[in-house]
Formats: sequence, structure tokens, C-alpha cells
Amino acid sequence: MDLDLAEEQQMVIDMAKAMLEEHCPTQLVRDMEDDADGVPADLWKQMGELGLNGLLIPEQYGGGGLGLLEGAFVYEELGRAMAPVPHFVSSVLSAKVLLAAGSDAQKDAWLGKIADGSAILTTAWLEPQRGQGEKGIALEAKTEGDGFKLTGRKRSVPYASVADQLIVLARSEAGVDLFLVDPNADGITKKQLLSQGREPQYQLDFDGVTVSSADRIGEAGSGWSTWNAVMHEGIILLAAQAVGGADRCLRETVDYANQRVQFDKPLGAFQALAHYMADASTRIDGGRVLVHEAAWNADQGRSISRFAPMAKLFCCETYRETTRACAQIWGGVAFTIEYDQQMFFRRAKALQLSWWDTPYLEELIAADVLD
Amino acid sequence: MDFDFSPEEQKFAEEVDAWLVENRDPVVMDHHRENFTQLSDTPERRAFMKKLAAKGWLGMSWPKEFGGQEIEGVYEYILNEALSKHAAPQIGKGVGIIGKTLIRHGNDFLKQKFLPLILDAEIEFAVGYSEPEAGSDAANMQLRADKVEGGWLLNGQKMWTTSAHFADWYWVGARTDQDKPKHDGLSLFLIDMDNPNLEVQSLPTIGKDTTNQVFFDDVFVPDEYLVGQRGKGFQMISEALDLERFTMFTLSPIANRSEVLADWVKEAKRDDTPLKDDTNVRRTIAHIMTDTAVAKALSTRFVCAAKSGGKPPTIESSQYKLFTTSLSQRVCKDALDIQGHEGTIMEGQDDAPLRGRFEGAYRATMNETVGGGSSEIQKNIIARRHLGLPKNF
Ligand SMILES: Cc1cc2nc3c(=O)[nH]c(=O)nc-3n(C[C@H](O)[C@H](O)[C@H](O)COP(=O)(O)OP(=O)(O)OC[C@H]3O[C@@H](n4cnc5c(N)ncnc54)[C@H](O)[C@@H]3O)c2cc1C
Repeated sequence: MDLDLAEEQQMVIDMAKAMLEEHCPTQLVRDMEDDADGVPADLWKQMGELGLNGLLIPEQYGGGGLGLLEGAFVYEELGRAMAPVPHFVSSVLSAKVLLAAGSDAQKDAWLGKIADGSAILTTAWLEPQRGQGEKGIALEAKTEGDGFKLTGRKRSVPYASVADQLIVLARSEAGVDLFLVDPNADGITKKQLLSQGREPQYQLDFDGVTVSSADRIGEAGSGWSTWNAVMHEGIILLAAQAVGGADRCLRETVDYANQRVQFDKPLGAFQALAHYMADASTRIDGGRVLVHEAAWNADQGRSISRFAPMAKLFCCETYRETTRACAQIWGGVAFTIEYDQQMFFRRAKALQLSWWDTPYLEELIAADVLD
Repeated sequence: MDFDFSPEEQKFAEEVDAWLVENRDPVVMDHHRENFTQLSDTPERRAFMKKLAAKGWLGMSWPKEFGGQEIEGVYEYILNEALSKHAAPQIGKGVGIIGKTLIRHGNDFLKQKFLPLILDAEIEFAVGYSEPEAGSDAANMQLRADKVEGGWLLNGQKMWTTSAHFADWYWVGARTDQDKPKHDGLSLFLIDMDNPNLEVQSLPTIGKDTTNQVFFDDVFVPDEYLVGQRGKGFQMISEALDLERFTMFTLSPIANRSEVLADWVKEAKRDDTPLKDDTNVRRTIAHIMTDTAVAKALSTRFVCAAKSGGKPPTIESSQYKLFTTSLSQRVCKDALDIQGHEGTIMEGQDDAPLRGRFEGAYRATMNETVGGGSSEIQKNIIARRHLGLPKNF
């Protein structure tokens, strides 16, 4: 048993950290908030050049072929930097969906472009008044001739305005199917909805959008099982992202608590506040190892049906609780737009509510334990 | 024991409520403004306050000689709860802090000048205690007041002066005696906000509105605008807080959010199934409603203590503020958890559930456990003064 990092692993971390420190200052994160496209060209290009966009994509498609553990290292840094990039939807979810179930033609068409960052793919999954499970998919894929017609509404589709392709979860006669769809196809209307995390999100209306059966990813009716498996891997990375955000939020708070004086003492000298920080640090350190264990198990080919939801549940709760406690420690300034605390505060809650929220994760874990 | 208002109080509560329903105006009363509903910062809201004044509802607890009705503070409590329930501006700083302090300590000039304006809702105040180095440690104010011919010259900075960008007059604590112990060197002043040597800079927040920092560059204040005795500023500030317990922090906006959430859950569906059939959702609502009832109980406790007219209900009000502000944040968090991914749609958009009420309130309530005496300060008060634990700071 050994938690030390191999030299190459440390290199991945250092590289990501250095690049983000240089190309992703907080001002850039602020500038991208509510932007209609929300992708900073320079940062995205840097990530492509350093191979981060293809990190998890096999070498045969021009990627780095690394595992989820390395992915988790990078995601902790992305979380720390609050990096405003479409990496998760494109380089993780879309790439993994195509790898898991795509045809050779689909893989050849997109994986290389995802890996070098020249194409962005996104996922159209959630719907109004519907949940985050299989039952939630109601957008209709009606068989017509050799293909399908898609009708319905999707919510919270990230980066839809810059996406080259959408992966749409739809309900067909066979069950849930995944389709590759051109976001500019006839019958699709996009509307930006501002979001708590302030990354670009769109509501998409599909009004009889035509897709051919060649655009389906995988066998008829296999969509949910593909999505479910990919999401299990993906949420481990989001858990790492939460750890990174929480860790930075706490470190900045500790610095402040050492400097700010009230009643002739630095704030950190008040045990009431010191204990909040001690609690947060314990959760963050535990959460990080849980994430690594989940990722490591995935890379070993072992089941992550329990570890993955546990990692996201715990780390997102940790992120949210850390931002709450830290805002309290900063006092009034945390409430101003000028200070960065509010950025963590909003993102932490948004991340917890998105990509499988607390009740959904709890149910996954309980089912794995009890059923 | 009696948990009901007296018949007269009940009659007043109903009268106010009916009047507010009759005068409903979405421009004046907007729940989405959350904690900023209490300010009368627009012409429409100021006009609304004039109507309240015409009803005789401003300064009800003041002595008759100053235009009041000498009735119990509980009526002001009833009034403010009703106003905040309807998201209308509240009677606050003028009638409470400033009016009551002037009545007790102000010179005749200040009383004659300001009290009628307050009763007629002709004047809005900003309160400037906090500074960069004086937050929780309020007695640490550094704004400097130097004695000059005919008055005082003020130099320095205030932080967090809500209302400074629209108020007419400024109620300010400043250090008039540099050498005395920190609690004894402070005095209170009233300053015309039009003074050209005041510079107001806005501090936007992640709630709906903005607060301010204010810079003083040789601001001259004539002698007669010193409030009460020189050096008694901190005592007057503390006393005003005690006098203000009745109106300081209303429960209605929080109770309102709990009810809005419960009503939404009653109707909402997810995956075609009523949300209210979900066990987790039911448990959450049960806890929110229970805690809301406890917040009400704690408020009843301090209202009764305040009514008794004995010593100021400091402990009761600290316990009330501690519990209620954290409940307020919890309700918003729980609401978002219930709404799930749709809870992340930002406030103010029609596509969001309840137009994003809880996304906005999640941000707007962040400050409640800090402003007006933070939770940690309330806990220190309860631990020391109520439980008799040793002071450790
Ligand atoms: C939106 C807004 C509006 C405001 N409006 C006004 C206004 O109109 N007029 C005005 O005068 N002020 C106003 N305030 C100021 C408000 O009262 C202060 O923010 C508050 O007193 C806390 O001070 P601080 O922000 O400097 O935090 P700090 O005092 O720096 O506190 C930081 C943290 O340290 C903790 N802490 C401090 N001392 C202790 C201790 N002894 N033991 C344990 N923990 C401790 C606090 O609880 C907090 O968690 C406003 C503030 C905000 C944010």
C-alpha cells in the first residue's frame, strides 16, 4: 500500500498546474461568466497543445491514452483554477461515449478532433421537470423511414453555441438511444439560460429534427447503459474537480484568517473559526484519497459502481460545506462580487446539483449496498 | 400563558394586513429582492412610506410629546412582520435607531429638525458604524473626528454603509478622543449626505443589491450635529440595538420562503410523479417546517421578554438571530437540493422553477449569518452571558 505518486504522475500535475497558473487567471474565469460561448481561445489552445484534451483518448486516435487516475490529477487542478472549458462534456463524456459504443466511422470522425481540441462535442441530456435517471429521458425519437425524428426539449446543455456535434439522449421504441446531431440542424432552437455556475448553458428545442440511423451511437436501446457507465467514470473526475475547488477555497481562507485582525487577534486564533477550517481540511484530504481510490479501481478494471457515486457525493458535499464555512470566516467581504469567495460558493452548489445530484447518488450507493 | 396576540394586537395585525393587500404593488413589493426589500430606495418605495406615515404607523412607540402614540413596541414588531411578509419596505433605521436615540440623547435642535421628518417619511438614513478594521470589533472604529472652530473635521473611511447611495442623512460613529480606551473615544454625528467631501463608492454584492464604502476627506460637521455627549458613542450604539430588538430582524421572509417551497412541492412533478410522494422530499419539508416553528418560538420568546419591559432581551435575541439566520440559509440550500438540476437556473428567468427564487435566495442569504452581529459573536454572547462560560478572546 502506497499513496506516493510516480514521477510521471507528478509531472502531469505540475504541467497542468503551471499551465493553468499562467493561462487561467481568476480574471479570465470572471470574464467568461455568462458569456454566450464561454470558451477562452488561448486556454483551450494551450490545453490542446499540452495533450490535455486528449488525455483520456487512446493513442491510436491521437490522444494520450492515460487512465482516470491521471485524469483525476488534472481535474483537481481544473477545479482549483475554476477553468472555464468544455473539457468535461467534450473530452470526457463525448469521447468516452464514442469509445464505448461508437461505430468506427463515428470514432474516426470525432475522436482525433476532440483530442486536439479542434472540435467540441457536448451532451444534451437533462429535461424540464424530469430527473437525472433513465426515466428522465423523454425527448422522443420517432422512427421514420431509415432514420428518426427528434422532438422535445433539453435543458442545461453546456457550450451548445460552440459545439460541433451534440450527443442527444432520446427515447425511441427500443428504449433510450444516443444520437450524434448537428447543433445547427433544421428544427433546433437554442436559448441561453444563465446558470448558477455561470458557464454557458442552453435550452434546446427539437422540433422534428431528422437524424439517420447511422447517427445512432451503439445498438438500439443501449443508450442508457452506455451513458450510465460513462457517467460513473465521469463523476470521479468531477469529484476531483470539487476537491480542487474546495482545497483552493480553504487555502485562501487560511491565509486570510492569519492576516485579518479583529479584537487584536488574527481570526484564526478564534477556535470557533479554526475548527471550521480543521473540519474542511479533514474532509478534503479524505475526499482526495477516496477519489484516487475510485479512479485507481477503474483503471484496474474493477467495479466502480459504489466508489464512483461515493466520491462525487462526498466531495461535492465537502466543496459546498467548505465554501459555506469559508464565506462565514471571510465575513462581509465574501458577499461582495469583488472577492473570489462568491465564485467558489456558487460553483460548489452548481456542481453538487449537476451531473447526478445528491439524492440520485445516494440511491446509487444504497442500491449497490442493499439490493 | 397565551400564544395569541391580545384582541387589540390581533385587530391591528389584521388591519395592517388588509391594508397591505389593498395597496399591493409589485414595483414596491417584490419578494425576489429578498433582504433588500426592507429599504425604501426608489421613488415608488418612498411614496409607499409616505402612505404608511399618513396612516400614523411611523413612530407609534415614541412619546406623545414628539409626535408618537406611546404604545407598546410590539405594535412595531407586528407592523414590520406584516411589511416584510408582503416584501414591502420596513420601518427601520429612522424610527428605530436614529429617532429613539435622538429622543433620549439628542439636543433640541436635532430633535426639532429630524423627528418630524422621520414621522412624515421625508428622510432616509444610512448607518455608518463598520469600517475596514471595525467589523465584529465595532468599537475599533478609526474614522477620525478632530475638533475645529465651530465643529468637527472628519477623515477616514467607512465600509458597508448600506443605503449611502440614496440616503439623505448619514448616522456616523467616529473617534473624537484618540487617547482614551477604544470604547470611550467614540461619538455619534449626523451628516448631510450631500456633503461634497464625502465620496460614496458602491460595493456590489452577490445578492440583488449593492452596499457601499464611504470616504471622508475633511468633512466638516457643525457642533450642533454631534449627537448626545462626546465620548458616549459606543454606549448609545449598544443601547440603540437593545431598543431596536422589536424590529431588528423579521421572521416573515423566512417563513414565507418555507411556505413558497412547500406550495411548490405540492404541485411539482418529476418524471410524471408528484414530488411530494418522494420520502426524502417529505422529510426535508417536515424538518424545514419544524425549524421554522422553532424560529417562531424563539421570536415569541424574545418578543415576550421585550414586552415585559425588564432588562433588554439580549440572550433571547441572540438565540433568535443565531437560529433563524442559519435556518434561512438551510431552507435555500434544501430548496435547491429538492429542485435538483433545475435549481441551477439563475434567478429572474421564466424557465426556472419559481423564476429562480431559491437560486437567488441562496446567494442573497449568504450574508445573514455575518451582518448585524455574526453567528460566532451571537454564540459568544450566549456562552458568556447566558451560560456563564469564561471569556476567551
Ligand atoms: C451587505 C452588508 C450590509 C451591511 N450594512 C451595514 C450598514 O449599513 N452599516 C454598518 O455599520 N455595517 C453594515 N454591515 C457590516 C456588518 O455588520 C459586518 O460585516 C459585520 O459586523 C462583520 O464584520 P466583518 O465583515 O468585518 O467580518 P469580521 O469581523 O472580520 O469577521 C470575520 C469572521 O470572524 C469571526 N469573528 C470575529 N470576531 C470573533 C470572535 N471574537 N470570536 C469568534 N469569531 C469571531 C466572525 O464571526 C466572522 O466569521 C453590512 C455588511 C454587509 C455584508
